[in-house]
Amino acid sequence: MRRLRHLLKEYGSQGMVPFLIAFGFFLQGCGLIFDAVELVHPLTRHELSVICSKGQVRVGISVEPSRPFVFPALYTDEGVRITGLDVELIREVADALTTYCGGQKPIVPTMHLTRFRDLFVAMNEGNLDIFVSSIGANIPGAVPVGLWYSTPYFHNGGIGAMIQKPDVAERVRAQFQKQAGDPDTLAAIQEGFSGLTVAAQSGRTSHLYAEANLKDIQLLICDSLPAAVETKDPHIDVILSKHSVLDYVTKHVWPDWHLLTRNDGTPLILTQESFSIVTVDENRRLQWFLNNLLYRLEESGRLEQMRRRWLKEDYAPTRRATTEGLPFEISKVPEHYDQGQCRFATGRRTGKTY
Amino acid sequence: MKSRTVLFISLNLVFFLTYPNISWAQAPREETEKTAQHLATLLNVGRLIVERNQTLINDPGIGDKGFTPEVFEHEVVDEFIRQTTIDLKHLSSLPSLAKELLPMLLQSSKEVVADAQLVINQRGIGYKNFVPATFGSQAARKFSNRSYVKIKQTALNPRNLKNTPDAYEENVLKRLAMRPAVDTSITEWIDNGTTLRAMTPLYYLQDCLACHGKPRGILDISGYPREGAQEGDLAGAISIQIPVNKQ
Repeated sequence: MRRLRHLLKEYGSQGMVPFLIAFGFFLQGCGLIFDAVELVHPLTRHELSVICSKGQVRVGISVEPSRPFVFPALYTDEGVRITGLDVELIREVADALTTYCGGQKPIVPTMHLTRFRDLFVAMNEGNLDIFVSSIGANIPGAVPVGLWYSTPYFHNGGIGAMIQKPDVAERVRAQFQKQAGDPDTLAAIQEGFSGLTVAAQSGRTSHLYAEANLKDIQLLICDSLPAAVETKDPHIDVILSKHSVLDYVTKHVWPDWHLLTRNDGTPLILTQESFSIVTVDENRRLQWFLNNLLYRLEESGRLEQMRRRWLKEDYAPTRRATTEGLPFEISKVPEHYDQGQCRFATGRRTGKTY
Repeated sequence: MKSRTVLFISLNLVFFLTYPNISWAQAPREETEKTAQHLATLLNVGRLIVERNQTLINDPGIGDKGFTPEVFEHEVVDEFIRQTTIDLKHLSSLPSLAKELLPMLLQSSKEVVADAQLVINQRGIGYKNFVPATFGSQAARKFSNRSYVKIKQTALNPRNLKNTPDAYEENVLKRLAMRPAVDTSITEWIDNGTTLRAMTPLYYLQDCLACHGKPRGILDISGYPREGAQEGDLAGAISIQIPVNKQ
C-alpha cells in the first residue's frame, strides 16, 4: 500500500492510467488463480467448520407450542427452559456436532424461538443453521424453495382432527358406513365436514391440507393451536392439526376436546406426514451430517426410544424442562408473545380478536 | 503504695485499650447477624409476593399480566417495610453491610422477575412453574454469584438436588424439624468465628399444600410427588453464609 501511495504521488492520476490498464490484463487470470488456490487451500469455510469454529449451532424453533414436540417455555430452577421431543433431538444434533468438531469444546445449541412463519425467513436470511419444529416434509406446498428437508425423524405422523360435539363424529362415521367396507377417508371427511367451521394453524400442513382438499367448509386460520381452542366466536366444529399433538392435548391439556376416530375407535388420520429437520439447500455437508446422524439414531433404536418417552410415557414436562430443557435467546422471542388470533381464510376476521 | 498505683494504672490501661477492641469486634458481628436476618426476610418477602400473584401469573386468559419487575419491587418494598419497618429505598440509617447487600438482593430478585416475563406473559398457558420456590432458587443464585455472601434455599428432601443441604444445614434442619414452629433464625459463628451461618426456617402455609400436601406421593401439577405435608410443618430453610474476612 505504501508503494502504491508512493507511485500515486510520483506519477499523479494521469500517470497511473497505463499502470491500471496493465493491472487489468492481470485481472483476467485472477479467477483461475483463485480457483487454483481454492483447490490447494479452501478460502471459504463450509458450514460445519463454521459451526465448529464458533462453537455454536443456531437452531430455530417455533414459539407456538406443539406438545409433545415443543412444550411452552417453562420457568425452572435453572431459569427459562423449553423441552420436548424436538428439543431432545436438538441436543443429539449438538452432541454429534461436538464429536465431529473434535470434542475439545462442546457445540452449544443457541435456540431462537420465533413465530412459525418467521422460521423460514430467518433461515433464508442466514440467521439459522437448522430449524426443528415438527415440520412436515412430504405435504405438497410445505417445502419452500431454497430449503432442504432431512430424512424423517418422526415417521408415523399424520394430520388428525379434534372435535367437541359428538354429532361431528357421527356425521363422519355415517359417511364411512355408507362406504360399506371400501373406506375412502378423504371422501368421508369431505362429506362429513361439509358446511362445518374448521380451524387450522396458519402455514402448517393442516392448513395446506384443508385448503387443498376441503372446499365445502368455512376455513378459519389461526396463529396457533391454543388460539383455535380459545376462539368462541365463531364456534369451531373441528380443529385440524398433527395427530400426535392432538392426541397429547386432548389427554393432558384440553379434555373438553376429543380426537376424531374411526368407527372402530382407532384414530382417524386424514393424511400421512413425517417430520424433518430443515436447513438451506446449499449446506450439503450439514445435510449429509444430519441424514447420517438420523440414520444412526434410528439404527441404534435411540430415535424410537425418544419417540416412546415423549409420546407414550406418563411424565411431567416441568420436571423434564428442569433436568434436560434448553435455554434460549429471550431477546429473539416476540415481546409479550400470545397465542395470536383466528380469521376466516377469506380474510374476514372473527367477531373477537384473540 | 507505689506498686498499687502502678497496678491500678496498668489495669486501667489494659481495660481502655481492650474495651474499644471488644466493641469494634462486637459491632461487625451484630451487624453481620442483623444483615443475615434482613437478607432472609427480603428473600422470603420476594417469595411471598410471587405467591400473592400466583393466580394472576397462572391465568391462561391474560397475556400481559402487568407483573413487571417494577411492580414486583414496589410490592416487595411495601411488604418489607411492613415486616421490618425498614424502607429499602432509604437505607441510610442501616449499617454499611446491610446497605451494600440488601439492594443487591433486591436487584437480583427483580432480574429474576424480568427474566421470567416471557413465561409469565404467555397467554393460553396456565401453570408456568414460576412459583415461590423457583423464584427463590434463582434469586438466591443470582445474588450469590455476585457477592461473597451465599444464600440458598434448602430442605431435608429438596425437589431440586442443587438445594441439597450440606452437613451443617442438614444438622440444623433436623433440629428445626424436631421443635415447634418458630420465627427466629438459628445463627452461629463457625470456623473460629470467621463465618456466620444463619438458617431461617420456612413453614408450609395453607397455599403450599396444593403441591406439597396430602396425599403423599401423588404427583402435583409440576410432576413432583407431594410431600404429604400439613400446615405448619417445616418446609425448609433459607441458609446464609457470611465470611467476615471478605467484608
